[in-house]
Amino acid sequence: MKQEFIDTIKSGKILVKKCTKCESLHLATVYFCQKCGNKGFENKILEGTGTVATYTIITVSPAGFEQYTPYAWVVMKIDGYDLRISGFLGGISSPAQLPIGSKVKIVGYDDRGIILEKQ
Amino acid sequence: MEKVCVLGAGSTKYGKLEDSITDITIQASVGAIESAGIESKEIQAGYISNVFGIADKQVHLGPVIMSNLGISERPSLSIESACGSGSVSFREAFANVAAGFYDAVLVAGVEKVTHTGTEWTTTYFSYCSDFFYEGGAGASFPGLFASMARAYLTEFKATEEDLALVAVKNHQNGFLNPKAHLRKKITVDDVMKSAVVASPLKLYDCCPFSDGASAVILCSEKFAKAHSKNYIEVIGSGRGGSPATLQGRDQMTTIPSTKIAAEAAYKMAGVTPKDIDFAEVHDCFTIAEIVDTEDLGFYAKGHGVEAVREGRTALNGEISINPSGGLKAKGHPIGATGVGQVVEVFEQLTGKAGERTVRDARIGLTHNFGATGASCAVHIFKSV
Repeated sequence: MKQEFIDTIKSGKILVKKCTKCESLHLATVYFCQKCGNKGFENKILEGTGTVATYTIITVSPAGFEQYTPYAWVVMKIDGYDLRISGFLGGISSPAQLPIGSKVKIVGYDDRGIILEKQ
Repeated sequence: MEKVCVLGAGSTKYGKLEDSITDITIQASVGAIESAGIESKEIQAGYISNVFGIADKQVHLGPVIMSNLGISERPSLSIESACGSGSVSFREAFANVAAGFYDAVLVAGVEKVTHTGTEWTTTYFSYCSDFFYEGGAGASFPGLFASMARAYLTEFKATEEDLALVAVKNHQNGFLNPKAHLRKKITVDDVMKSAVVASPLKLYDCCPFSDGASAVILCSEKFAKAHSKNYIEVIGSGRGGSPATLQGRDQMTTIPSTKIAAEAAYKMAGVTPKDIDFAEVHDCFTIAEIVDTEDLGFYAKGHGVEAVREGRTALNGEISINPSGGLKAKGHPIGATGVGQVVEVFEQLTGKAGERTVRDARIGLTHNFGATGASCAVHIFKSV
């Protein structure tokens, strides 16, 4: 299931699971509904666009991210849904470049995890 | 349910320590045993918390510690719950004593990581997040709390200088604590001029990586009364969980598990936030302390920052928050921190806190969580 999720991310979209009982949406890596406990889901594909819910600019990075530093790590609110997804957004060095509410989108997945870009 | 008491407490200094992970755990444990005035043979079980034993080539610490205390035949549990390991371990010990399984147990926590360096610790600590979405996408722990700080500063019009005031206060308290890692007073200017780690958090907004060990003896009231007059009672114990990721939360300025754990602890203790004289809270970053004091019910959401600004959380203020210096100044040996908070409460409520004594204190609270509050425990204590 995770691979299917990653493949969808690579195409700039988000695979989510819609609960067949209460219709709440979850990221595809959830196996039981947090809201009602139901196990039945149907796939739904969302556009990978949204706005910055919050973010940070990392200047002291974990191993593997040195060459990208500084960069932003962003929690994105998905357009049209009460659902959020987070990921890496490169090339950001100042808060002025990425105010909360900025429009961003998913563009891929690699060894930096889910990759976002400004729209 | 049996009444449960803390009979003794011991701790190493927090900071950069030379001795091994095993040695410092034993030092803290022996301190707790001597403080309790008991023989090691009276300990019926051990709860040993640690996260990165692998860094000092020793995991499965439980039986190693028990063997060194001359009680190798007694059961032990080696526990990991990230930065909340100590309080989660304490809770398991509490539950077992309360249920009557044991009369007296050792609760010890330890961490030994400073020899690995900043990159190792930054990297390995990030494994405590939901790695696929957070650590694996470059989010360090300072970065995750910085994201909470960014949301808080935007939502409540607080400033980075306000966050800095938390560090200034906790350094002031830590200066009075002989076992604290960072014993120097600092100013808002020092914080603001320190290097940015993860915007908007700067180096002095962050707790240090620390080595250290802390231990307590937890026992039934009957056992306590038979051994000493210097004990305190555990009157409330609560636990809770949060979505493991920040993205899983509706709000970035609150930690759900704190509220759940606190509500359970207050209910068991039959007290309200107003009854708490002082609290040791999880201030891994300055923003965390502000969020904690709101989630614990001391201040309304968005108002914790005013309390800091007005000095109401200073030592012997309206409510003393982190009289020990907190994780920020006392230090944060992650597997030990939750136990170390209980050591502080024990010292405060038995007249052993010296210059940092909270005057006329009778009820103290500890609050400790793992990661960004994915797991949390709150305990409430009363002097006898």
